[in-house]
Amino acid sequence: MSRIIERVRQALGVRANDGRDTLVFAKSDDFVHCAEAKATERDGWMESIRIEAKALNLRVHECPDLDACGEAIASLARERDPEWGTVKQIMRWSDPLLDGLGLEGRLGAEMAVKSVPGADSFSQSEREEFRREVIASYIGITTADYLLADTASLVLLGGRGRARSVSLVPSIHIAVVPRSRMLASYRQMLSILGAMDLPSNVSIITGPSKTADIEATLVHGAHGPREMHLFLVAS
Amino acid sequence: MLNQSPLKYRELAAKAVQDKQLHRALAMMRDKIGRKAVNLYNQLPTGEGSRQAAKAVRRKVVDNLDVVLETLATNIRARGGHVHLAESGADAVEYCLGVAKRFQVRRVVKGKSMLSEEIHLNDALEAAGIETVETDLGEYIVQLKGEAPSHIIAPAIHYTREQVGELFAEKLGEPYTDDPPTLTAMARKTLREKMLGADMGISGGNTACAETGHVTIVSNEGNIRMATTMPRVHVVLLGIEKIAATLEDHDILLRMLTRAAAGQKISTYVSYVGGPRLDEEPDGPEEFHLVLVDNGRSRILADPDFREVLHCVRCGGCLNVCPVYMAIGGHSYGSPYCGPIGAVFTPLTQGINDCHHLCQGETLCGACKQVCPVDNDLPRMLSLLRYKLANGDARWNVRPQSLSAKLAFGAWSVLMRHRRMYDAMSLVAGFCQKLLPRKNGWISRLPGQLGGWTRGRDFPPLAKKSFARRWARRDTARRDA
Repeated sequence: MSRIIERVRQALGVRANDGRDTLVFAKSDDFVHCAEAKATERDGWMESIRIEAKALNLRVHECPDLDACGEAIASLARERDPEWGTVKQIMRWSDPLLDGLGLEGRLGAEMAVKSVPGADSFSQSEREEFRREVIASYIGITTADYLLADTASLVLLGGRGRARSVSLVPSIHIAVVPRSRMLASYRQMLSILGAMDLPSNVSIITGPSKTADIEATLVHGAHGPREMHLFLVAS
Repeated sequence: MLNQSPLKYRELAAKAVQDKQLHRALAMMRDKIGRKAVNLYNQLPTGEGSRQAAKAVRRKVVDNLDVVLETLATNIRARGGHVHLAESGADAVEYCLGVAKRFQVRRVVKGKSMLSEEIHLNDALEAAGIETVETDLGEYIVQLKGEAPSHIIAPAIHYTREQVGELFAEKLGEPYTDDPPTLTAMARKTLREKMLGADMGISGGNTACAETGHVTIVSNEGNIRMATTMPRVHVVLLGIEKIAATLEDHDILLRMLTRAAAGQKISTYVSYVGGPRLDEEPDGPEEFHLVLVDNGRSRILADPDFREVLHCVRCGGCLNVCPVYMAIGGHSYGSPYCGPIGAVFTPLTQGINDCHHLCQGETLCGACKQVCPVDNDLPRMLSLLRYKLANGDARWNVRPQSLSAKLAFGAWSVLMRHRRMYDAMSLVAGFCQKLLPRKNGWISRLPGQLGGWTRGRDFPPLAKKSFARRWARRDTARRDA
């Protein structure tokens, strides 16, 4: 470790830190302040999301409340067929907002709706069990901590009850996001993240999985979800 | 073992210039990405200053690399991750093999990593009896074919859909089709099983953030998220220079990277990976290793003339505008880093004499500099490499390449500076050229060393009356009138 640092110092012709770190890690005022967006800036965010989402093949549904949202997701689940196998199962994050969708009640008779277990720690067998359940799910439901207006990107912070694989392994990813979580831009999100302890994993997701590796032809559904829905809840 | 070597440049390039299919594919990259890039940069809030803003962020890190590296290592370790600084490729490979052995790994799934190509990691893993699967669709295609990637971000761009169809029919036992969505679905199915059944994920990193202690990885397919989420251990390979200092710096870097690489405002997936999963997380890798690889980079850092090349963010943008790359494709460069960036970086890491064709093959037209998201002055560095080849260089152990070329250019230089000698030589050359074979009025073969020019094209003959003589006559005619 130190040998390479030493070699780098030699290459740069420097001996020690000499207070350079304050310069290297300095933040601009503009960056720090962009965490707080003014209310007037919100105009146009929705329009921007609609335009971006269309180009991305991300389907946006606007719902007045969680009840309507739950109903819309339930009918979507009924319409779609699993990509792998024949059993329909849904895996969702453990989150109070998603509890409010009442999916277990709406769909319970037709398919299993499971949520990510919330615990302080997991045994090896519990982890394997969870892994099997995610792989067996054709729909994964998460919320998002932020929704970036300029690119229609969802920002998912990792943590308890918020497994990474739920937005990744199932064929269909559904994200339920209150409109109040919209931010102007990637920059504003970075500014907010900069003020917190960053979790072990942050996923910024912009539309369904895609590739253009064969003759630069765009195809959706490379390795991640091939279909993605954003449910925006007004209240 | 992929038989890659810059020594075969001439042979491979001569073949590639005849390859119309390759040219069509690369023109597509030029039109879809290369031509759009600069406009996309200028649409950012930083406007036409975007490239300079990104350059400043990269320069700050490279010029203070010791501080940034130490901070990154400290912060990753604080998150429970392991950090290893590898001096050489062999050192990095050995470390990866050690981790694999400890976890009794039978299968590795890989996210796209140019650095892993640079250090020949796949060969070493396979030699250790570990199945190694590339998961990026393009990388998977070239791996099935037993080839190397030909483009930094579009590794299989040199194949047609029909060729991919035949390959999948042969290797995956699928019915033949040339429909890209169906072919993608086949790869999706096969690779999903590979990814869900792997013990170890190895990825590159697009950048890392020193102040927070995380690695940033972008992808459109989702393969990298799979390879870094599902296996028990995740190893990231990162060049020591490829770090951002702060989250604020991430802003401009990421925006420029995705625009330059793919003409996108943002990639489908941008992941910040900071260490292993926590106890309360039910998934994610139980161990996280960051391997920071020097492998010749600190030597470049020590030379102020070439330090700038370490600003590169590996977007592949310079490939999509380079007329030489467009004509000869990625394989001719004989190194994972092709195009203008490869023509500078490869000689500096693999030996300037051995890689002389790379920097001498480029045209110095400057297109790469104009499109570079960090305004890397590649043409300047290409010229400098050529200068070192002509004159030798102790620091880089460069032998002067050709005494005869040096003498010839020396003579030319004298001639250009002495009017009478020049006029006399023009007369002699005007006479001598009558002895040379012609085709449609042009000289079709030059003698000796000069014959290289006429091997692929004809040479215009000197005018019967030189410009100087006609000018003199015009002056006389005027005076007379």
